[in-house]
Amino acid sequence: MASGLQIISASKYYSEGSERITALDQVSIQVEPGEFVAVVGPSGSGKSTFLSIAGALLKASEGEVILNGTNISKLSDKQLSDIRLHEIGFIMQASNLVPYLNVMDQLLVVKRMSGKVSAADKAYAVKLLEELGLGAKLKSYPEELSGGEKQRTAIARALINDPNVILADEPTASLDTKRAHEVVSLIAHEVRTRRKAAIMVTHDERLLTYCDKVYRMEDGKLSLAALESVH
Amino acid sequence: MFLALKELRHSKTKFMMIAIIFVLVSWLVFILAGLGNGLSTLAASTFKTMDADYVVFEQGSKSSMSKSLLSNDLTAQLAEMPNVDAASPMGIIMASAIKGNSENANEDKVDIAIVGIEPGSFLQPEIIEGTGLTSGQMTNVIVNETMKDEGFHLGDTFELDGATESLTIVGFVENQTYNHVAAVFVPIEEWRKVAFAAPGSDKGITDPVNAIMLKGKDIDSNAINEQLPGTDTVTRAAAVQGVPGYKEESGTIIMMLAFLLVISAFIIGVFFYVFTMQKSNQFGIMKAIGAKNGFLSKAVVSQVFVLSLTSIIIGILLTYGTAAIMPQGMPFMLDIKLVITYSIVLLVISLLSSLVSVRTILKIDPLKALGRVE
Repeated sequence: MASGLQIISASKYYSEGSERITALDQVSIQVEPGEFVAVVGPSGSGKSTFLSIAGALLKASEGEVILNGTNISKLSDKQLSDIRLHEIGFIMQASNLVPYLNVMDQLLVVKRMSGKVSAADKAYAVKLLEELGLGAKLKSYPEELSGGEKQRTAIARALINDPNVILADEPTASLDTKRAHEVVSLIAHEVRTRRKAAIMVTHDERLLTYCDKVYRMEDGKLSLAALESVH
Repeated sequence: MFLALKELRHSKTKFMMIAIIFVLVSWLVFILAGLGNGLSTLAASTFKTMDADYVVFEQGSKSSMSKSLLSNDLTAQLAEMPNVDAASPMGIIMASAIKGNSENANEDKVDIAIVGIEPGSFLQPEIIEGTGLTSGQMTNVIVNETMKDEGFHLGDTFELDGATESLTIVGFVENQTYNHVAAVFVPIEEWRKVAFAAPGSDKGITDPVNAIMLKGKDIDSNAINEQLPGTDTVTRAAAVQGVPGYKEESGTIIMMLAFLLVISAFIIGVFFYVFTMQKSNQFGIMKAIGAKNGFLSKAVVSQVFVLSLTSIIIGILLTYGTAAIMPQGMPFMLDIKLVITYSIVLLVISLLSSLVSVRTILKIDPLKALGRVE
């Protein structure tokens, strides 16, 4: 497979005292471009570990992660940081914007991480923000934004480098129902129109209607859940 | 630079506070440096500005003029030594001058240092007003211009307290002080009359002098010591250290400066370390979305750079402002070279102390961004 995200029987072990904890147990998943996948499960089930491994933040103890055709399991920290910058868009919990940057700069700082900011980058950032309904907020700081606006900024930030994979970590954690639906439908829309492979980790089951597949995580094991059962 | 400046602009109060502390520290550093420089100039400027490279003292005198006594016969021998371009004798004695025609002689005394040199030798400083010394006119002297403030004028004659000599001012020189008092240059024969007025105080040495100054690069002082027993040749810098009180005075100032520099290192270091710790979650997020260690470290270091540079410049301006309103008598002397040196030292110290924060950044785990590390 050439694009998208593929994880082949990845496991992650931690040692806690003399015990060996299995956080992830032989997890395999494949997400195609344009596919929006949800992972649900109780806390402590290994969702975060799963997302960290998919997001090149953590190396699996066993198994392989293939991102857009590249096996990232053996890369160095520096290379992983490049992969994160160019191939992965993270959407994190609401408070995870840089407090002293305005909406426009939140996007441009990502561009700056890989070098200079060109006029085309700026134009693209403005276009992206306008598409996400933030055209009037370009110069606003995170403290002046509502929770929904912050999350839309985070979505724009995740898309600025045109990555192949979008990973969302509880993107609706601090939002009310209306805003949560708004944000997730926006993510789903962007994922489908831009052909991204997307994974959302959540425990908000109301939002699963937007997803193509739902996986359930339990004690480190990932299993496909029938969509009907969660709807 | 991008992140650094954005944050500086956004959190003005926070950075203003640390900037004020650093301005005060650098202000104090510059003032102390100026005072130290002024004091050491007062203590030994006659030595410091002298056109000599080496000084020959009596053995065992520990580079102190007042402890050393040599015969002028050595001068001719020294001039013949390899690498010696010129040799000339010198003598110094402390005295007090009584202003001429003063009715209140006891209160109008001025402390002076009488420096005996050979008229026309390389030891004679540049005359800024009047004429130089002449061998024929033993009582014609040149004095430091600060004596003008004490009411002495060109052509004035003054008496020496406790001596029968009276001297006439024929010229003025600048920046010539010794032991914090104005230097009065006299022909060496006249100096002998004052210094060895008491019978036997010359210890029977013919044509006694305190020291012989040498001019010439790369003089082998060990060779001179061997060839002329009873002498001790040192560099001019070592002779300056031998001026009574000089080492103690400059040592005190240097100690204070050293403490200040260490303190400033800790202030900047600790402040930015705490900032960095506070922001570790934020740095974690940026690492998660792909920021490299270098990108984030550069942000902190350039922040420290901008902040310290601004503070140092303000500190310099304040120092010159202070110097302008300082009382005349304060021995404050700040030259550009000194200001630049201490600015660079302060800047380097603050940048080095920011490395503590850089180390912290390197250790931040991007996993923090996910909020819950399992």
